Amino acid sequence: MKKGKITITITIGLACFVLVLILFMQFKVVYQTDITSIDTMKEDELRTELANWKQKYNETEEKYKNTEDTLKKYKEESSSDKDTRKTLEKEIEDAKLVLGLTNVEGPGLIITYKNSDNIEQTINQEESTDKYIGATDLLRLVNHLKDAGAEAISINNQRIINKTDFAQINDTTYIKINSKRVSAPFEIKVIGDADYLKGALIGTGFVSDQKKYGQTIEFEEKKKLTINKYDGNMDLKYIEE
Amino acid sequence: MVLIAIVIGCVLGAIIGINLPIISYTYSTYLAIAIIAALDSVFGGITGVLKGEFDFKVFISGFFCNAILSILLTYLGTKLNVDIYLAAIVVFVGRMFINLTIIRKYYIDKWSKKIEEIKNKKKN
Repeated sequence: MKKGKITITITIGLACFVLVLILFMQFKVVYQTDITSIDTMKEDELRTELANWKQKYNETEEKYKNTEDTLKKYKEESSSDKDTRKTLEKEIEDAKLVLGLTNVEGPGLIITYKNSDNIEQTINQEESTDKYIGATDLLRLVNHLKDAGAEAISINNQRIINKTDFAQINDTTYIKINSKRVSAPFEIKVIGDADYLKGALIGTGFVSDQKKYGQTIEFEEKKKLTINKYDGNMDLKYIEE
Repeated sequence: MVLIAIVIGCVLGAIIGINLPIISYTYSTYLAIAIIAALDSVFGGITGVLKGEFDFKVFISGFFCNAILSILLTYLGTKLNVDIYLAAIVVFVGRMFINLTIIRKYYIDKWSKKIEEIKNKKKN
């Protein structure tokens, strides 16, 4: 064999060796590489990816912030709405309470106010109006009670409110309270300090005055009594704010 | 003889290449371009042998220089943000096709001559 040919053989063999060596290395790299894995990414690819993610992050964060702001606003609005509503409701409740449009409870007195038992026999015509319990008597009674700090009053379940009227229908039997007929005996419920109320009626001479006509007034203290609300209508026709 | 050398070289290269540690994906572009360059050189060498113009020095220098040069160009390309390796691939693959054509023609000529000879022998 010529020397030249051996050289050629060895050279080509060597070249093939190197070629296949690199070839297989590359095969291996390509085969084993997960292109999406970070380890194998090129630097600029990573940089691009990073930039993308950063942008995405910023966008998302901005969105998040916006949403949070909106949420906050909504929350504030809703809470302030709630507060306003609560205050308004409270005010309405208070107003109703004062006006007598709600059933109320509290300590107080039950006053039983009766005509004389044998009134039919004892009256003569002239005295009759005085001996019967009249609207003015009730009005005086209520006035005294109010003076003593009564917070709620009802007569035969007719709640006394600012609109309440006391009217004598005829001279004797019937009285109109809240435009409804009531007649003796009267059961007057009062919420307030029982001692003051009693004192007001006795101390002012109201009880003794009425006793002169044979009328009886009895007091019953109660720890807790219920006074019903005013059940008429409260429509206003003429007044305006 | 040459064939045996090629086979031995390929087998050895394959065995060692498989057992070598994996290289980073970052450098696989360079490796790929080196492979193309080496392949081109090998085909060039074969063509040279067939033509009888084979020069040991030209082959070896071409083999390594082309590979290294192409790697350097690729590197330069990444720095310049130009895909120069594409140009290298175009050139190398183009030359590979030319060389393959020459090799193909050479063997076709050889075989057709043989067939003619056989025919002539039969005629005679």
